[in-house]
Amino acid sequence: MARRKRWTVLAFLSPWLIGVVVFVLYPIINSLYWSFTVKRYGQPARWVGLGNYRLLLDNPDLSMALKNTAYLALIGLPIRLFIAILAAALLARPRRGNGAYRLLFYVPSVLPAVASGALFFFLLKQGGPVASLLDLFGIEAPLWFRDPDWAKPALIMVGTWALGDVMLIFLAGLVDIPRSLYEAVELDGAGRWARFRYVTLPMISPVIFFTVLTGVIGVLQSFDQAFVLSQGARKGRLTGEPDGSLLTYAMLQLRYFQDGRIGVASAMAWVMFVITLVITVALMASRRRWVHTSTESA
Amino acid sequence: MNATTESLPPSSTHRYQQPRGRRALLLVGRHSVLIGLALMFALPLVFMVLQSLMPITQAKTTALWPDSMEWGNYRTVFDRIPLATYFVNTLKVCVVATIGTVVSCVPVAYAFSHLRWRGRTAVFVLVLSTMMLPYQVLFVSQYEIFTSLGWINSILPLTVPAFFADAFSIFLLRQFFLTLPTEVMDAARIDGASEFGVLARVVVPMARPGIMAVALFQFLFSWSDFFGPNIYLADEKSLTLAVGLVRFNTALAKTGESNLTMAASVVFVLPILVVFFFAQKVFIEGVTLTGTKG
Repeated sequence: MARRKRWTVLAFLSPWLIGVVVFVLYPIINSLYWSFTVKRYGQPARWVGLGNYRLLLDNPDLSMALKNTAYLALIGLPIRLFIAILAAALLARPRRGNGAYRLLFYVPSVLPAVASGALFFFLLKQGGPVASLLDLFGIEAPLWFRDPDWAKPALIMVGTWALGDVMLIFLAGLVDIPRSLYEAVELDGAGRWARFRYVTLPMISPVIFFTVLTGVIGVLQSFDQAFVLSQGARKGRLTGEPDGSLLTYAMLQLRYFQDGRIGVASAMAWVMFVITLVITVALMASRRRWVHTSTESA
Repeated sequence: MNATTESLPPSSTHRYQQPRGRRALLLVGRHSVLIGLALMFALPLVFMVLQSLMPITQAKTTALWPDSMEWGNYRTVFDRIPLATYFVNTLKVCVVATIGTVVSCVPVAYAFSHLRWRGRTAVFVLVLSTMMLPYQVLFVSQYEIFTSLGWINSILPLTVPAFFADAFSIFLLRQFFLTLPTEVMDAARIDGASEFGVLARVVVPMARPGIMAVALFQFLFSWSDFFGPNIYLADEKSLTLAVGLVRFNTALAKTGESNLTMAASVVFVLPILVVFFFAQKVFIEGVTLTGTKG
């Protein structure tokens, strides 16, 4: 009986087991090995030790890509999360019309990144709708995706527009807060801000943790929108126009891949993996300090 | 979301505590923020549709409203690029990948939720940890596998991996399976049903909304995916909508025919919006489930 059960479990797990070996473990080990070699597809790899990593270290494009990624994570992500919490808080109590608002706020996030990228490229172009609207108020619109100083803020706008899924996750968290907690602090005479600060914020801190973690990982891998908005591959090169201000880490790695420099692309993949790991571990470690672990009541 | 309605503070208790004027002010404030947000979310979509209907002479000006509705733009797009072919290619990838995801993830999620075995938690943590793995680490080597199999320029690299259970779908399905009552499953087991029988005849029918959510997310992912098709598909005739659209837009960025790029975007986006409209509950429940801890 026990033996038959073991086989049942194995059979049920088999799709994942096979997949994880073929499509995850083998590629991981392979790319780790390749990262220490000079490698082109169809050719044997030649060992160069830390050569690829050293090459990356003094590559100005890499520091540019890392800076861009940090900008998007440190400025873009907080803006996105703040507006998502605000929208969720406004819609948390059941009121007439909230369902329609919720639906409307969520819709942009189901659009493919490629489509929202194309849409904002049009919206923000010279003489486009946004420029016309700003003109009504006598404001001269910046050149957005043609200006290195404005390209990243514009990219952040696209990400902020598509915050609907994050908002829904916050909404679920807010709705789960037991009302008795609010009643308790209200008896103590807590005002609106105190209620938010001492009940809402601690209660949704696990959700904030989750969205920060997935958000940072998402930013690290971001590619589609930046690719579309820098007008894709200029003359076949992934440069992150204008002037590299939209060059993301994933874009640079793809460039090495397309140039057939598999060793360097593998090294970049591994650096990315390590960065992801460090950030995850750091966030996990910080959790005790700011994430409230709910007791049985929740 | 209905069940949670009761857990919210009754608004009547607040109402008489607050002075009337302040209450009105808060109401106005709340609504103006909501309306502002609504405009922010809706206007881009409105501009997309309006632009897609503009005559070309007007598309190059700063006009916001089309002088005449130029439905012919949509025909022009279909004439300029093989949109119908892209559409069929995309649909093929989506349908096959969705079937693969459902067929492979349901048994795995079942093993992680309703079968008891040693090391279950540890292995599940392993599943979750693969979710953190950047695709960038994997595709460099996967590309060589698919090249040696001769799969480049076909939909196989985009569909076959789906038959081997991805971590996100397993996670989502497991969350859903855990909410199901175990009594019914135990009853079926006592009646002599095998674990496969329990899964097929008891769990799957009960878990239909969860399975729908996973299927929809996979479908949406495959529909939207740009990175994968961009590497694996080179031949013009094999492209998916996402890649075809980007190439079309890049080509048209120089001519300024934004009416056509927006028309192509509408064609790309419309099926998603239609599916979303009919299945919004499934979507919303699915996303909500993502954020809850198991």
